[in-house]
Amino acid sequence: MKLTRRDFATFIAGTGAAAALGQLARTASAAPNGSYRAMVGVFLFGGNDGWNMVVPTDSRYAGYASSRGTVALAQNKLTALDGSAFALHPAMSALNSVWAEGALNVVLNTGTLYAPLNKSLYQSRSDLRPTNLQSHSDEQAHWQGLRARSDNFDGFMGRIADRAAQTATPALISLGGSNLAVIGQRSSPLILPSTGTLSRTGYSAGISAKNSAIDAFASAAGMGTIADVTAKQITSAYTQATTANSILTATSSVDAFFVNPTTGATLTSDVARQLLRVARLIEARSTLGHDRQTFFVTQGGYDNHSTQVNTDTSTGTHANLLGELAMALAAFYKAMKSMGMAENVTAFTMSDFGRTFRGNAQMGTDHAWGSNHLVVSGNLRPKLAHGIYPSTVLGGADDVSSEGRFIPTIAQEEYLGAIAKWHGVADGDLGYVLPNWSTWTANGRGPLGLFA
Amino acid sequence: MAVMQRRAGRLVVSFVALAALSACGGGGSSGGSGGGLVSVTPTPTPTASPTPTPVSTQDAVRLAQQATFGPTPDVVNRIVALGINGWIDEQFAATGSRYDDIAASTGVAQNFCTGSTDTACNRKYFSREPVAMRFYADAMVAPDQLKQRVAFALSQILVASETEVNETNGIAAYNQILLDGAFGNYRDLLMNVTMSSFMGDYLDMADSNRTAPSENYAREMLQLFSMGPDQLNMDGTRKLDATGAAIPTYTTDDIKGVAKALTGWTYPRLSGAAITDNNQRDYSKPMIEIATRYDTGVKTFLGTTVPAGASQSDSVKAAVEAAFNNASTAPYVSKALIQQLVTSNPSAAYVGRVAAKFADNGSGVRGDMKAVVRAILTDSEARGASRTGASDGKVKEPILLMTSLMRAVGMTTDGYAFVTQDSNLAQPVFRSPSVFNFYPPDYPLPGNTSLKSGPSKLMTTSNVTRFHNFVYNWTISGDQTRSEFTTNPGIPGWVGSKTEWGAWEALGTDTDAMIARINLLMMANTMTDAQKTALKAAAAAITNADATLQARRRAQMMLYIVGTSPLFLVDR
Repeated sequence: MKLTRRDFATFIAGTGAAAALGQLARTASAAPNGSYRAMVGVFLFGGNDGWNMVVPTDSRYAGYASSRGTVALAQNKLTALDGSAFALHPAMSALNSVWAEGALNVVLNTGTLYAPLNKSLYQSRSDLRPTNLQSHSDEQAHWQGLRARSDNFDGFMGRIADRAAQTATPALISLGGSNLAVIGQRSSPLILPSTGTLSRTGYSAGISAKNSAIDAFASAAGMGTIADVTAKQITSAYTQATTANSILTATSSVDAFFVNPTTGATLTSDVARQLLRVARLIEARSTLGHDRQTFFVTQGGYDNHSTQVNTDTSTGTHANLLGELAMALAAFYKAMKSMGMAENVTAFTMSDFGRTFRGNAQMGTDHAWGSNHLVVSGNLRPKLAHGIYPSTVLGGADDVSSEGRFIPTIAQEEYLGAIAKWHGVADGDLGYVLPNWSTWTANGRGPLGLFA
Repeated sequence: MAVMQRRAGRLVVSFVALAALSACGGGGSSGGSGGGLVSVTPTPTPTASPTPTPVSTQDAVRLAQQATFGPTPDVVNRIVALGINGWIDEQFAATGSRYDDIAASTGVAQNFCTGSTDTACNRKYFSREPVAMRFYADAMVAPDQLKQRVAFALSQILVASETEVNETNGIAAYNQILLDGAFGNYRDLLMNVTMSSFMGDYLDMADSNRTAPSENYAREMLQLFSMGPDQLNMDGTRKLDATGAAIPTYTTDDIKGVAKALTGWTYPRLSGAAITDNNQRDYSKPMIEIATRYDTGVKTFLGTTVPAGASQSDSVKAAVEAAFNNASTAPYVSKALIQQLVTSNPSAAYVGRVAAKFADNGSGVRGDMKAVVRAILTDSEARGASRTGASDGKVKEPILLMTSLMRAVGMTTDGYAFVTQDSNLAQPVFRSPSVFNFYPPDYPLPGNTSLKSGPSKLMTTSNVTRFHNFVYNWTISGDQTRSEFTTNPGIPGWVGSKTEWGAWEALGTDTDAMIARINLLMMANTMTDAQKTALKAAAAAITNADATLQARRRAQMMLYIVGTSPLFLVDR
């Protein structure tokens, strides 16, 4: 990998500028209570248009509006973030108070990278690009597996669990199905539904001819790896379901926080239901014997090639999704505060990729690359926007096409790695959890300064 | 074998009863506003076949696992009687399943149900349910099993979903395209899919405008429906560059070029309505031209140039041909079909043999699906006794779990009962969560750095429990009184479901005969003596003064135990 000193200087300067900006903000932050930590990754499937989730409100707004065209949001409708040059989408006002409390950070133009890139390097060195950029499946795998140029057969959360103590009920829990992120090589995740319970109909433990027969058909040893793995998955699922069910069916005080802040109605979106269950499982951490927990949560529907926005661009499919997300994250944060765990828990977004900056003729956007992300935690350095907002010029210095496909200036490793370190991944395990870690901890690169 | 004969007789009786219901019910294929109910009177099509190669019973069961919705005594006997190729020939000629009648009878204006007093209105016209009912009804008994099974595979490769487009007539018309394409040519299939209004809505080719074309369909046609993202060798392995990295099949500029070539199409409208009337979209027919939105300029993509002024249809044809003829398309599509039908980890040689047939059926024709399907099913990796190699095995996805279990049990159904279950089991047919299907074919087998197992994505803690509960509910609690067997949803064609416990009751205290049948149909005769003994003991523990009820309860118990076993859940 040949990168000139000048190439790196750009990035170092960028990081420094972002850090300097951060110093203007309040720096007080509460410390975590004890050693327990939880990370909650919210994967926004389909490729969230982060350019409309976080919008500049200073002199850059004009460039934003003209380049985004059909999908641009009106400045006077945005959710202002006190003391910041950025605002959130109009539908995300539920997060305003979280920002005001210093528990929300914005991370700008982040994405999948194999090596630091600028436009000329991108053009001249295809061997430094992640493979199959703009492909949903490949970029999801790059985000979750963190191998940008080779096959991903496991994910970073699964690898964190591989290096942690194994508990009877796994401390890696997905509420959004089985996904690459939660696959490990020696650990298995607990995968729970966002609604409904888990009881095994008609089963009672104990010695019976029925149970003996069930046992006689429970193993597939010697029948091929897939059958063997499947048999073990079934057996462990039955055991885990019993424990999980007792938590999911109990009453909990956290439920009361998952309501619409305006109407008081119970939140019914899938992402809210998932985060509610995460809150319950955090509440039950002692019962489960978990001193660290890792959660994978999902929200789908972000692939908005058409009708991303309505005629009033502050409404439409994307506004609905972001409104659900904001209310769910805000509710989750309040629930954590209520149990004194706000400083011990960090929620953060991930997504396939960002969207083209230029809106298309069907009021939608197409696949792109870098995007903006959100982090919610009581342990953050307050009110920071990390990183560099790209030039909004289509075909300009940061665009690898003519529609606004921006080269990320923060790699997933710098973003997720900061959270993994905070979560407690030992220094010696960072290279296992984040296979390309060495690239992102050299030449002035390193984990983002998210935490106090 | 005596058991099978009796079973076959029972099924014929059931078919007659079902046909009679169809005739007086006014639903099904005879018109009306669509609905479930099996499409045809399922009479096997006898054809003269050459002297068959002898087939072992176990191999016949394996073929039925791969090429039908689950082994039945009839299918197994038929395969043994005709031989592998003879049975495939018979299946190529078989008819039965269809959706075009539903497509033709469910096209209504978007506000059709507004103010309607029919509480089932949205389900009849704006949901997958009538089409899904037909899918399950035909899967259970219609004779053209292989065509349906290939169409089901195609529905998981060329994905369009009710999740975003809940038009009953569009779902029906789209899946008729897949049925018609199952034994046709992949070029025609790709063209018909491209022009489908339902797909046009799902992936935004409809109303894509030259002023800023949507890239969505252009991209997914290349990435998912034809060549895949990486250049492949004919055996499905990736070509690698000097640094050892994969080589992309297309660039962003190719996508943009194809997107331009696909501009200027919109939905046909119902009742001659204006093309500006979005209340009257007709999803049952291909898209139509809207010339003002078409980019008439030069389009360049994938080494093809479409000259300025080319017609809209020629532009589309050029894009589809470029995708179809790409060197990676033969191995990409072939491997995807093998993974759907036979095994999650085919050897490179197996993929290569099938891809060669895709490229040339032996008569110079590319894309001949009959040749591809035959190559897949007659390959040495597909045939023979049950396999126990490290990379062998294919997890039954939930739909196949449901149909395989119930075809082994015996059931006549309009399909509605299955529609009430499949969402909860994580595989609502025609309602994939995204264009990436319910699972990707290369989903890693957990804890393994090389093996793939797509359906294992669905093996979550909660789904495993739900699979168990489904099997329990439809075996041990599967008496006729179950509400999903008897509750009328108000969708035309509904007749309910009837599980044929009578065939099991007729076996009385002959537990060995029950076990033999379960062993054949659900485990391809791989049950060990210890397992048989344990099963028999579990059955014997059930006693009832009513001999008929005792026989049913014992059969239900044994079906439950095997139906929840990983040995049934993984085809080998």
